[in-house]
Amino acid sequence: MKKLNSLLLAGAAACVLLPGCTTVNTLEPAQPVAQRDMLADKRVITDSTLNRRARILGVNQSTSPAGFLKIQVEIQNTTSRPQAFTYRVEWFDENGMIIELPTRTAQPRTMEGKETISITATAPTPRAKDFRIKFLEPTN
Amino acid sequence: MKTSPLVPLVATAGALLLAGCASTQTTYVPQGSSRLVTSVGKVNIQDFEQAADDMVKSLTDNLISPGKLQSSVPSEPSLMAISRIVNSTGQQLETDLLTKKIRVALNRTGLVQTSTTIGIGGAEDPIAADQQKAQEFFEDKKHTRLPDYTLSGKIIEVKDKAGNIHQSSYVFQLSLTSNKGVAVWEEEKTITKQGSRATVGF
Repeated sequence: MKKLNSLLLAGAAACVLLPGCTTVNTLEPAQPVAQRDMLADKRVITDSTLNRRARILGVNQSTSPAGFLKIQVEIQNTTSRPQAFTYRVEWFDENGMIIELPTRTAQPRTMEGKETISITATAPTPRAKDFRIKFLEPTN
Repeated sequence: MKTSPLVPLVATAGALLLAGCASTQTTYVPQGSSRLVTSVGKVNIQDFEQAADDMVKSLTDNLISPGKLQSSVPSEPSLMAISRIVNSTGQQLETDLLTKKIRVALNRTGLVQTSTTIGIGGAEDPIAADQQKAQEFFEDKKHTRLPDYTLSGKIIEVKDKAGNIHQSSYVFQLSLTSNKGVAVWEEEKTITKQGSRATVGF
């Protein structure tokens, strides 16, 4: 027990002393005015480490008057260290067929420790009715 | 000191196995893969894609999606011409790598088309331009539709170094100007890369 306490203390001290352990403090209204249309989502987690680094908190969507679908994904870095990840959004038409795009790059993002960010994506055409987001770990 | 006769054997076997891991075989990498080569002092293909992706998103969010895009010919898509994209970096860049992706994405919205007969330094498609002129001559009627918008921009490079760490920032600036000379949309996207050498992945 004594050994465990020492280890925890050492871990906490390392986190305070190491420059990599920067976490984020946030402030927001207790009762937000904006009403978000949260989606019931289906997740396939194959990389639990990445899921800890970039945990998906929720997805909300809106549609513009011109019919363009817009999504916003809220992601949290549950670790105390800065983390990087990449993501790619795929869009599907009303028949479930993928809409091919000239730009298919995996967008890189970084988050500070414990930070929550929102990534947004707008459908490339009003034909897009569904989406799929892929989260990937950076390779280096 | 006496060493076991197995030590050189194990070392040789290890070296052979490790050499097998470091394959020099050429492989195909799909577009948009996170395994693409990334260089600190160079604009890579994925940087153009990333910049184009963000530009298209901004155009869609701020101009197309709210229905602010206008066309001089009702019931027809807006017509855009590509103006000058200034390369202010120290590298030779093919700016079409940026503009073509934007053109294709806008074209697929069904709301914007690009002129291939009006452009800086002459027509992009000279045969189409000649055909248009011939048609105008024989029919004695103007067919040329003037663009509703022009796309112009600049790519800027900012380099920095601290110790062994090299940093390169590439700033992509684009403006969409209406035929009244007003910039109706403007966007800037900065891509910053840090590293001590070329690496693979973002």
